[in-house]
Amino acid sequence: MKSILSLILSLFLFSCNTPTNKKSSVPVVGFLDLLQDETLAKAKQGFFDALAKGGFSEKDSTLKVIYRNAQGDQPTLIQACDYLLSQKVDLIATNPTLSTITAVQKTKDIPVFMMVSPSPANAKLNDKDGNPPKNLFGVYETLDYIDTSVALIKSILPKAKKVGTIYNQAEPQSVDAYNEIKKQCNKSGLLLESLPVNNSSETQLAVQSLINKGIDVFFALPDNTVFASFETIAKTCDEKKIPVFTSEAGLVARGALVSYGADMYQWGYQSGEQAVQFLKTKSLAGLKPELVKVRKMVFNKEVGAKYGLTSASIDEFNK
Amino acid sequence: MNFYLAALMLGLGFISLGFGIFISMRIFNIPDITTDGSYTLGGVISAIIISKYGSVPVALLLSFIGGLIAGSCTGFIHTKLKVNALLAGILVMTALYSVNLSLMGRSNIPLLNLPVVFDWFSFINDAALRELAILILITLCLLLFLSWLLKTDFGIAMRATGNSETMVRSLGVDSLKMKIIGLALANGLTALSGSLITQYQGFADINMGIGIVILGLGSVMIGETFMNLFKVKSIFFRLIGVIIGTIIFRMILAIVLSLGVDPNLLKLITALIVLIVVSLPNLRKAL
Repeated sequence: MKSILSLILSLFLFSCNTPTNKKSSVPVVGFLDLLQDETLAKAKQGFFDALAKGGFSEKDSTLKVIYRNAQGDQPTLIQACDYLLSQKVDLIATNPTLSTITAVQKTKDIPVFMMVSPSPANAKLNDKDGNPPKNLFGVYETLDYIDTSVALIKSILPKAKKVGTIYNQAEPQSVDAYNEIKKQCNKSGLLLESLPVNNSSETQLAVQSLINKGIDVFFALPDNTVFASFETIAKTCDEKKIPVFTSEAGLVARGALVSYGADMYQWGYQSGEQAVQFLKTKSLAGLKPELVKVRKMVFNKEVGAKYGLTSASIDEFNK
Repeated sequence: MNFYLAALMLGLGFISLGFGIFISMRIFNIPDITTDGSYTLGGVISAIIISKYGSVPVALLLSFIGGLIAGSCTGFIHTKLKVNALLAGILVMTALYSVNLSLMGRSNIPLLNLPVVFDWFSFINDAALRELAILILITLCLLLFLSWLLKTDFGIAMRATGNSETMVRSLGVDSLKMKIIGLALANGLTALSGSLITQYQGFADINMGIGIVILGLGSVMIGETFMNLFKVKSIFFRLIGVIIGTIIFRMILAIVLSLGVDPNLLKLITALIVLIVVSLPNLRKAL
């Protein structure tokens, strides 16, 4: 009995001796990730590529990275954030929204570089005067790209009347995106049919139901549930010859017709460029949360051929 | 702030959840799935009250009452409508998801720069020490209140209901009413935990309750293992066992996070360490 207790105690005390870091000259970057997701991973890749381009990379020993992923569990996210802060990192990179909110709540001094997050106003992080937290930097996205995405529908398929979409109400950016789409569809004279889904297993049923309501076009908005179950959406819509429009470039490779929106990789890259500036100059002067710069249109030729569309007609729109 | 101190404080925030699960599990033998929903409900109510009116005591009180109502619903469905206990919990939890979403109006409410319970005791300057003091105080109050309550005639009747319902009925206790009150109390405590954690983490999120009943059950069971080691039967020490179990659970996760393992293996290693900790007493005999 006593030996067991002493074993646990010594294990505990041993791990308590984690050195709280030796102020070395190599900058330490903490990355707080919420869950394991291919799309979000692109932003992380972009962030670290930007750091590498700026001369900071683990391979050359010019950078130390502490990466923690909460695996979708919120209490774990809090503890992971606590851990990064206890390691006295020089900056925290956060991906996606919930990580940003957690980090900003936990620290007022260490700079937070966000990516794949909505604007501080949309995330309700601004104070009474409308200023974002002083230590918040990085790149956000507003909903403007949705206007262009919906306009795309009208121009590529002028005969389309009904647009179908699904979204997960639990994701903050989804509800905002949905409201924006509704507004835009009303303006363009399109009818919007929508269904809420709680997790990726409900997707197929929801899409079937929308198809039965006679949609002409499906719009996949930026929602992690949609991303996770996109193959189901693409297959179901394809069978009934319904093209899928989206705002996420990664989905085009997976079967969507065309996308217009922020490129995840570039999103992370832009945030990384801000981080490079901070690490090089050691000052936050001139840095503030900025809007995503690179939005692009990606078109899937194979899928387009099925609907008799070529990239020429898309380029026409681009002008 | 020391990382392990932060883990300790997070653990203290979950103590109320542990007490709630302890009551429903050990006293009623009903694993109450409502917990996922009432925990979030507590957080949601607090976030709304604090962001609209800035009053922390009202937030804590209303969160507790919200949990009481949620638990009563489960109790009512189970006892009067004769629905299986597990199903009753699942139904109320599912319904609470919509209730929480409608109350918030969005999926997430941050509490940046708003008053929280951890702003009390402002005479203590160090923020971490202040939070710790408040959490310890709340834990002590709950511990003393519950160990008192469970030793009164009413409390003993509640415990007896879980032990043997037929016996307790033959002694003239309304076992159905006991179950409803007990479930209400359990979920009230859970909602209180939700409120505390929301104020600690600085936001309420619709998904914050997912899997929380597992966390609570795990904490209670770990605590029980340790209390069995010392062969205690007294309710006061069993409650202390719950406290120890909750804190150990958070500490194990903290240790795993500081080890820096492959993120995909985080949950596996956490489970393994918990397994080792709880099976230690029997490990020697088994091997």
